[in-house]
Amino acid sequence: MKFTNWQFGELEFEADHVVKFTEGLIGFEHHHSFLIVDDVDTEPFRWLVSLEDAHLSFPLLDPGLLLPGYAVDAATGGGKTVFVIASLRPRVDGSTVNLRSPIVIDNATRTAVQVILDDEGLPLQFPLVPSAVTSAPR
Amino acid sequence: MLILSRKPEEEIRIGEHVTIKVLAIHNGQVKLGIEAPREMRVFRAELYSEIQAANVEASQVDRRVAAKAAASLIKPKDKKS
Repeated sequence: MKFTNWQFGELEFEADHVVKFTEGLIGFEHHHSFLIVDDVDTEPFRWLVSLEDAHLSFPLLDPGLLLPGYAVDAATGGGKTVFVIASLRPRVDGSTVNLRSPIVIDNATRTAVQVILDDEGLPLQFPLVPSAVTSAPR
Repeated sequence: MLILSRKPEEEIRIGEHVTIKVLAIHNGQVKLGIEAPREMRVFRAELYSEIQAANVEASQVDRRVAAKAAASLIKPKDKKS
């Protein structure tokens, strides 16, 4: 299968790589099918790329790289992959990640939700700082 | 809109599975206890708008900007002399 995104060009993928957001993302409730795209140029950021809108993508970060202690509510259970959504500026200063409502993907079913965690102390705009990540993971 | 008056300790039931209890009223603030099924998202209305705004901002990030942010986010490898 193929999809062309304006930033990433033609993406080729298998049907079982599609991540399904049954309820969409918050504010983007009508978008349901996405692909996780690894981009060597933007590592450690990956991308959540819409398969329904050629102009829609979100930068993602593995929160474990930033905050080893950050663990989404145990109730989400095992077999899940968690990403936080990043708002980025060129020099990182001013860039933030949303720790309050991460993306939780069920690895087995490839279904995903943008959850809202109960902890009011988790910032929606957690600042990224230079050199916060040791190396690009794989 | 349905308007109901409730006193502290009184409850409102919405459907079969949702109960909202008035816990306390103090200094112009109402403290509510909400019991709802886990899959039902319950949050302050402002929070929804804030998350929406954060998502919209993230959705506008250009790949080249992300590449620059990434370069400055990653700690340069220590050079061993």
